[in-house]
Amino acid sequence: MQESAKNNNTARFLLNWAAVITLVLCFIFFTLFKGSLFLSGINMVNILLAMSITTVFGIAATVTMAPDGFDMSACTLASCSAYAFVSSYLWFGCNLAVSILITIVVTLIMYQLTMFLILICKVPDMLATCALMFVHQGLGQWYIGGGAVSTGMKSSWGAEPARTQLSDAFSAIGRAPYIIIIMLACVFIAWVILDFTKHGRFLYAMGGNKQAAKLSGIDVKKYRYIAGMITAVFIAIGGIMVSSRGSSAQVMCCDNYLMQSLAAVFVGRSVGGAEKPNALGTLVGAMLVSTLENGLTICAVPYYVLPAVKGAVLALALIAAYASVKEQ
Amino acid sequence: MEKITLSTKDVSMEYPGVKALNKVNFEISTGEIHAIVGANGAGKSTLMNVFAGSNPGYTGQVFLNGEPIEIRTPNFAKKHGIQIVYQEVDTALVPSLSVAENIMLNDIVMNQKSSFMNWGAVRKSAAEALKRLNVTDINVRSLVQNLTLAEKQMVLIARAIQAECNFLILDEPTAPLSDTETEELFRVVKSLRESENIAIMFISHRLHEVLQICDSYTVMRNGEIVHNAPVTPETTTKEIVEKMLGRSFEENFPKEEVKIGDKFFEVRNLSGAYGKVNNVSFYVKRGEIVGIAGLVGAGKSELCKTIFGSYKKTGGSIILDGKELKINNPAQAVKNRIALVPEERRKEGVLVQETVAFNLSAACLDKFCMMSFVQTGKVNENANRFVRDLGIKTPSIKQHVRNLSGGNQQKVAVGKWLAADCDIYIFDEPTKGVDVGAKQDIFHLINNIAREGNGVIYASCENSELLSITDRIYVMFGGEIMAELVTKDTNEDEIMNYSVGTRAEAKAGA
Repeated sequence: MQESAKNNNTARFLLNWAAVITLVLCFIFFTLFKGSLFLSGINMVNILLAMSITTVFGIAATVTMAPDGFDMSACTLASCSAYAFVSSYLWFGCNLAVSILITIVVTLIMYQLTMFLILICKVPDMLATCALMFVHQGLGQWYIGGGAVSTGMKSSWGAEPARTQLSDAFSAIGRAPYIIIIMLACVFIAWVILDFTKHGRFLYAMGGNKQAAKLSGIDVKKYRYIAGMITAVFIAIGGIMVSSRGSSAQVMCCDNYLMQSLAAVFVGRSVGGAEKPNALGTLVGAMLVSTLENGLTICAVPYYVLPAVKGAVLALALIAAYASVKEQ
Repeated sequence: MEKITLSTKDVSMEYPGVKALNKVNFEISTGEIHAIVGANGAGKSTLMNVFAGSNPGYTGQVFLNGEPIEIRTPNFAKKHGIQIVYQEVDTALVPSLSVAENIMLNDIVMNQKSSFMNWGAVRKSAAEALKRLNVTDINVRSLVQNLTLAEKQMVLIARAIQAECNFLILDEPTAPLSDTETEELFRVVKSLRESENIAIMFISHRLHEVLQICDSYTVMRNGEIVHNAPVTPETTTKEIVEKMLGRSFEENFPKEEVKIGDKFFEVRNLSGAYGKVNNVSFYVKRGEIVGIAGLVGAGKSELCKTIFGSYKKTGGSIILDGKELKINNPAQAVKNRIALVPEERRKEGVLVQETVAFNLSAACLDKFCMMSFVQTGKVNENANRFVRDLGIKTPSIKQHVRNLSGGNQQKVAVGKWLAADCDIYIFDEPTKGVDVGAKQDIFHLINNIAREGNGVIYASCENSELLSITDRIYVMFGGEIMAELVTKDTNEDEIMNYSVGTRAEAKAGA
């Protein structure tokens, strides 16, 4: 009996830390194969650079999923944020701080639509945001006139842009060390909100048992709305990072980050036995995804095979994560 | 201490087509333990929900110390010191959060000014609340999802007493508790009455408990209060039952004589359920009702579920009619004509969102299909038959099961297997949360199943029930079978003796 209890504890420990263990194994594996080519300061920064955007979108998804919400349209909305950011900077000549502010406000305003469908019309999250994906794509591209927002391009209504150059500060957001600092700040803020404030605990309470949360006097609608607004801010930050990194807002520039960011959240769900979407877990999840991508590229795996390998390792991490779920 | 009084005048509550409460006048003061008894559907829970603020649509007036108050939200009730512990513990707990947070949830929601969590203080207060309950083996850091049912109950009671509390409503608190835990709870309840100026409203179907700890009781029937009296040494369960049912009632259910056939179902050295079932062997004869006794946590439910294939089997064999069965999942068990009526019926036994008709055909939908198309006519015919035969109280077979009372839900859970025509019926706590009237119906049903030559396995921690309905009893402790007893030669003391871990051999040797 004691033996099996001990085994159980060991198994539980392994499962709880499966994502971290996989990450460490990846590091060991790639270091053994590629040595200093992989394990160098420059390459470590590369990994952090590559994961930063996924992490921020992952954090946005974490905040939504804490109260058992879901947002399929996060990254299509982020594309809109990117259009808003670059256009207000280039087309309207606002300074950087004002552009960032405008981007966040625009994203918050657009997120009201999401909240309207979910909270007022009571459409299930998944379906509401599925529909909004198309709305965001259409609205965003209508605004930019179907083409990218970048230097040397006219505005969508044909006016001359107010600026023709991106400043250093603009590009710095997308480069090391700033992009990494922003990422870490986002993780830290979300971590503090979710784990150390009562508001975060209420979100988790809703995610665990909505009925119980309601009966405890938590205003579940208000908190779902708050979660949505926090999510919107992170989405805006993600959009800004993408456009700064790409020095422009390409058409649908953020859309592809959705699945990676969700993968990061799901992998991170069980880290440390948390059993719920959490900020630090998401960071680990995003790091796992980007370490794999980086290491495999260095190992000269062709880029078109990469998704298959990445997917397989992710699946393994997820299998470990969900093996701890008790049999029903 | 100053007495606080909560009273109602002509409180009514109407649901579409049902008068759940009809002009109820009720009064309770702090310093007493007051039982509220009645059959399922009598309106007990509805009245308690009015007090708890979950039934904002009531009419009439509620008074607190003579002042009229409007309890329209749960928050309002809590602020005025009315706390409720619900019967279904899982509806009130957040499984993914820690014990400490679950205990302090209301407090954090309503009283915490600072946005930031003071984890040290939260854990300390939670631990103190548990300490008042004399519960020492629950770690406030562990997640609630890893607790047992009884432990979850303790967490909820700790949550209630932790808050500002003058009126504590306990909705069937003892149903999932073992005898020791029940006594422990009673100790706490009594000390709350004496030391903390609290009135306890105690809903229970276990009338001997009512007589044991309550100062007074109220009997409800069909949404009305029919009787209200202090508990005196002369009060008997029999008279309370008569008031509840409005008719007299045979207290002990007589065992019906059934012809016992040959041994046809056997479990040999079964282990599994993640170590909670160890080396269990027993057999069942045709027409026999075999009891599985034991305290909460003894492994009864786990044994039932392991036989049924929903928990993993790590060793041993299950034999039906001399043939070893391969059961790795419930689907295979059903194919081998084994039925399980599980303990948590709302979660596992019935599909609450579906109609009575669908539920009654869910276990054997094949029978009602032609070339994969469901034949609604046959489904309805089947449903009408069982609604009639089992006396399921429902306005129509199209009614959703979640709208039925507990006892009737249980009848549906049993009925779906009767339609499937199985050989072995496993019942796990079939009378939990069921009123005395429905209990009789269920006993009758189980007897009929046995009479038709099927085997019945009846797991329950109600020893008096086991003694009145079974032919033989196996007593479990710590996942193992401690003793095999012949029902007519045993008594509650002997069962209890084995339930706490005495081994039959050890006793014989001594």
